Amino acid sequence: MRRDLLGEALREAPIPGAADAEERGRRIVAAAFAERESGAEDARSEPGGAMAPQTSERRRRRPIPRLALGLSLATLLAALLLSPAGADVRDWVGDALTTSTPRPEPTLARVPGGGSLLVQTGEGPVVVRPDGSRKLLGDYEGATWSPHGLFVAAVKKRTLSALEPDGTPRWSITAAQRVSVPRWSPSGERIAYLSGFDLRVIAGDGTEDRLLAGSTGAGTPPEARISPAYVPPAWSPTGENALAYVTGASRLRILDSETGAVLAAAPALQRITWMDWADGGRKILEAAPGTLRLRPVLPAGHPSRPALGKARLLPLPPRASVNDATLAPQSPVVAVSITHWRKHGTYSEILVFRPGQGPRTLLSVPGSLGQVEWSPDGKRLLVAWPGANQWLFLPFGRGKGSAIANISKAIAPSGRPTSFPQLEGWCCRR
Amino acid sequence: MPGESGADERRLVREAQDGSGAAMARLYSLHWRGAYRAAYLVVHDAAAAEDIAQDAFLAAVDALDRFDRRRPFAPWLHRIVVNRALDWARREALRRRVDGAESVFEPLPPPEEIGDEMIAALRELPAEQRAVVVLRHLLEYTPGEIARMLDLPRGTVNSRLRRGLDRLRETAEAELSAEGRR
Repeated sequence: MRRDLLGEALREAPIPGAADAEERGRRIVAAAFAERESGAEDARSEPGGAMAPQTSERRRRRPIPRLALGLSLATLLAALLLSPAGADVRDWVGDALTTSTPRPEPTLARVPGGGSLLVQTGEGPVVVRPDGSRKLLGDYEGATWSPHGLFVAAVKKRTLSALEPDGTPRWSITAAQRVSVPRWSPSGERIAYLSGFDLRVIAGDGTEDRLLAGSTGAGTPPEARISPAYVPPAWSPTGENALAYVTGASRLRILDSETGAVLAAAPALQRITWMDWADGGRKILEAAPGTLRLRPVLPAGHPSRPALGKARLLPLPPRASVNDATLAPQSPVVAVSITHWRKHGTYSEILVFRPGQGPRTLLSVPGSLGQVEWSPDGKRLLVAWPGANQWLFLPFGRGKGSAIANISKAIAPSGRPTSFPQLEGWCCRR
Repeated sequence: MPGESGADERRLVREAQDGSGAAMARLYSLHWRGAYRAAYLVVHDAAAAEDIAQDAFLAAVDALDRFDRRRPFAPWLHRIVVNRALDWARREALRRRVDGAESVFEPLPPPEEIGDEMIAALRELPAEQRAVVVLRHLLEYTPGEIARMLDLPRGTVNSRLRRGLDRLRETAEAELSAEGRR
């Protein structure tokens, strides 16, 4: 074979989306370079900066002068967590910060902090009103609040329905395949949902149902198909039609829900189970069984598309398993429920991450905790504790915590104990 | 490689090490397409190639301070790209073997845009042969340089190259013969 013929073929073979890929790469590399330079600038401004070590060293050493200035215990926790040798000390510090669990009350007489809860029980989704009264919405398999709590989107087999919070149906559609994980857009004008491995969008009034990405769409490239892990899609809180989802090729993609155009893409966290936008749409939080990661969303540049920046892992104890993670309304605080092994068995913790700080342990208990959900005002956390059959309402800041005992019976519409209920939302974030 | 001379490139690396965003942008412009194309021709998956090329550049940014500016930038970058592309291709082959018929998705169809039989034939080569063919005929490294980049004996590089080119030649000849029959 003539070498020039082969070289020519290799140089000229068209690559789909090459120009977009180059532009995305340019912005990500530029952002990483700018970040490196800002780190170098910090180091140069510190004493001894002229002899500053190389980048990775600088990054590790940056907290030290801060400690010298007497910064918070939370920062110390972060530094300890980042080093394996600190793990034992970290256990001790974690114990020192642990709040005791509140004495459980026998019934849910009211929702602490107000608001309405949506929970999935063995009999179907139930709305728990602020006064503690309950309403079973029907025998649906899953449900989610609309942005202002005026409606609930509920799914059952191939049916997607919009209901009023008292269970009155407003509309229903039947999809080609089983429907799951509906999510309302922040404006309430759209609902994204999965039908089989298709990502679809429908207007809030039940019209304009259409395919956005999926296995059955004509011309859908394989890398655009939906993750078989059924990771729920997530709307950007900025109200700009940006919808994030995970593809079957384990890519995190942001689509324009109106045009279907791919705005940005990056590798998703391995074994990702959940994701959501954080920090007012400036970051995306990804969760996998043992990992949590924040990826910056760089603002739209030229062309006018956002880009995904370099992801950073949140520090977790060694061998920790992530049960759930949730983002505070109106603030970039992340609460995480984890379970891990200590010397004497399994422990679970609720960790709270604030921007620029290490994790703070809000609660540590033996056994396994479950889901965690912020109250609409961001002042408390609802923590599910299936092993104790309790819900814990923990104050974030000052205030008293409370607990509800025998929750599987307290929430069950029929009053008969069923499986431990699953939290679907605490209405309403604005 | 096209673009800047060796001296110019060393200057760009030095300026990027000193914090020049313009120099980093120029290095990116000079080397992205080659890196991305090389990754693509090894993995034949545009999304994976984008990740691999991005990762290589991010690694370059991270290691910029440690980079020996007397050495050329491109081989260092290409070494990362091709080794990561090989890792990806091996993982993907393993995944397909493990998933087998239970895979949720059908095998990736060849992109319609790539009509060139040569590229289609390249795709059928084992990843290790694709990598040396791409390094030799796209990026124009010598077998000795490829051996150093892939940490292989030079004889292994030569044999992979020969086997790969033989397979490609067979494809080209079959194609020419088919053309003649039409």
